[in-house]
Amino acid sequence: MSSLSADGFEVSDGIGPLESGTSVLLTGDDTDALESVFARVVAPADGERSVVLATDSRGRAVKRSLNGAKRGAGDRSSVLTAAGSPSGDDIKTVDDLSDLTGMGMEFAALAADSQQETDRFRTGIFLCSTIAGELDDTRSLYRFLNSTFLTEIRRSDGIGVCALDTSADIGANMDSTVTGLKTSFKSHVAVEATGPGEATLTISDADGERAVDVSI
Amino acid sequence: MARSVLCVDTADRIDDVATAVEDDESLTARTATSVEAARETLEAEPIVCVVTGYDLPDGTGLEVVGAIRETAPQTPCVLFTDVPPAEIDTASFEESIVEYLNRDLPDAHDRLGFIANDVIDYSAQASFIRPDDEDERLETLAQYDVDALPIEESFERLTDLIASHFDAAVSFIGLIEEDEENFLACHGGDLDTLTREDTICTHSMLQEDVMVVEDILQDARFAENEQLQNLGIRSYAGANMTASNGQVIGQVCLLDHEPRGYDAEEQAELEDFADTAMEILELRQTVRDAERTEVAQ
Repeated sequence: MSSLSADGFEVSDGIGPLESGTSVLLTGDDTDALESVFARVVAPADGERSVVLATDSRGRAVKRSLNGAKRGAGDRSSVLTAAGSPSGDDIKTVDDLSDLTGMGMEFAALAADSQQETDRFRTGIFLCSTIAGELDDTRSLYRFLNSTFLTEIRRSDGIGVCALDTSADIGANMDSTVTGLKTSFKSHVAVEATGPGEATLTISDADGERAVDVSI
Repeated sequence: MARSVLCVDTADRIDDVATAVEDDESLTARTATSVEAARETLEAEPIVCVVTGYDLPDGTGLEVVGAIRETAPQTPCVLFTDVPPAEIDTASFEESIVEYLNRDLPDAHDRLGFIANDVIDYSAQASFIRPDDEDERLETLAQYDVDALPIEESFERLTDLIASHFDAAVSFIGLIEEDEENFLACHGGDLDTLTREDTICTHSMLQEDVMVVEDILQDARFAENEQLQNLGIRSYAGANMTASNGQVIGQVCLLDHEPRGYDAEEQAELEDFADTAMEILELRQTVRDAERTEVAQ
């Protein structure tokens, strides 16, 4: 499926299309369902590039997941991951998720390289809750999200999605943390697995709140 | 007025960096060619942004970042280098967010000024979560001329009553401004202002209902916060002061020096006190506006 006009990005399943500059907070307690929805948002169409920060998945697994959402999307993506080994120019690794300085620089470098190829840019973090669980001080996560992730979306006029596993132990009240984070993102999508291969997405954005049933 | 940017790099590169910065008319470059010279400049001059290379004669660019974090932690830093991120030693700087710009990119020279201005504009808000409609919220807050309103005594009486009612060590009323919380009244403590990064109210204001933190030491958002530790705070409850247009401009809060919870009835009472504080502020502002209109006529 090709992308929309220069003002929007195609995303299937009622989440999109998303306007340029849109950031999405994706929450839920089923990581398989989260991953499926995440891939649909971040998978780049023809003429686009994406950068994914993965905490628990190897680079090739991330690319396969993106290919499952959109044919050839993996080849148009760069992955920065804390799992597995680096490979070529588009799979980089970080040794320590709590090293936000190094991770931020690697992420910025990959984003800049992608934006040299095209001005159509998508990005995502899967899973933000894993990073939060590695940090002693959650304020560092806010700095990272604001200074690196959300800034990259804003400057590039791209779109981005940050996935949070609400069943994870992040050392803080999850509901309150999600409430806080939601305000920094343009859209919130809560993913609830409702059966084998099925989920309900509750989407909250400037247009209000709506529920969509999807296959995952 | 031009923004003063400290450029730090080796002697053979510094002119190129300074030129790239000053190609943007809103920026003025100050230069240093070592970590030590950068330290001296940071102590002597008001600097709003640092652009530094990585390899310096007496250290690294991250040491320059460390130096400014000691004196002016909100000042943004850009690492402008051809050294790949994987070769940069971040061991002592793991939670410092630094903007990275590869100087080998074809448009690196042109991007530097844009990025310097961008990080200057947004750095103050980078360290805390903020509402998506923050600009509208600040416009609402600006409608209340708190410095000119006779509210201090009213709010001090109110915080005395609140602390007494809940048998809490500290009660305060604070307005949440762009970069800091401004405490208008406080019973049981000596609070003036705190940067938003250091306040629990920054989080509480984002919730519709009362936010309770029963034990701050058990919450990763606040457990490492030195400001809260220095104040001896262990528990928190905060209710929103909500203006008539729905924007949250401040908080009415309770602090205690021991872990503590608040039941539903107590939380509802705290919300009532917050509504009362808001009404006092609204009434005072209404009276002042009426007086001004009368004088103008």
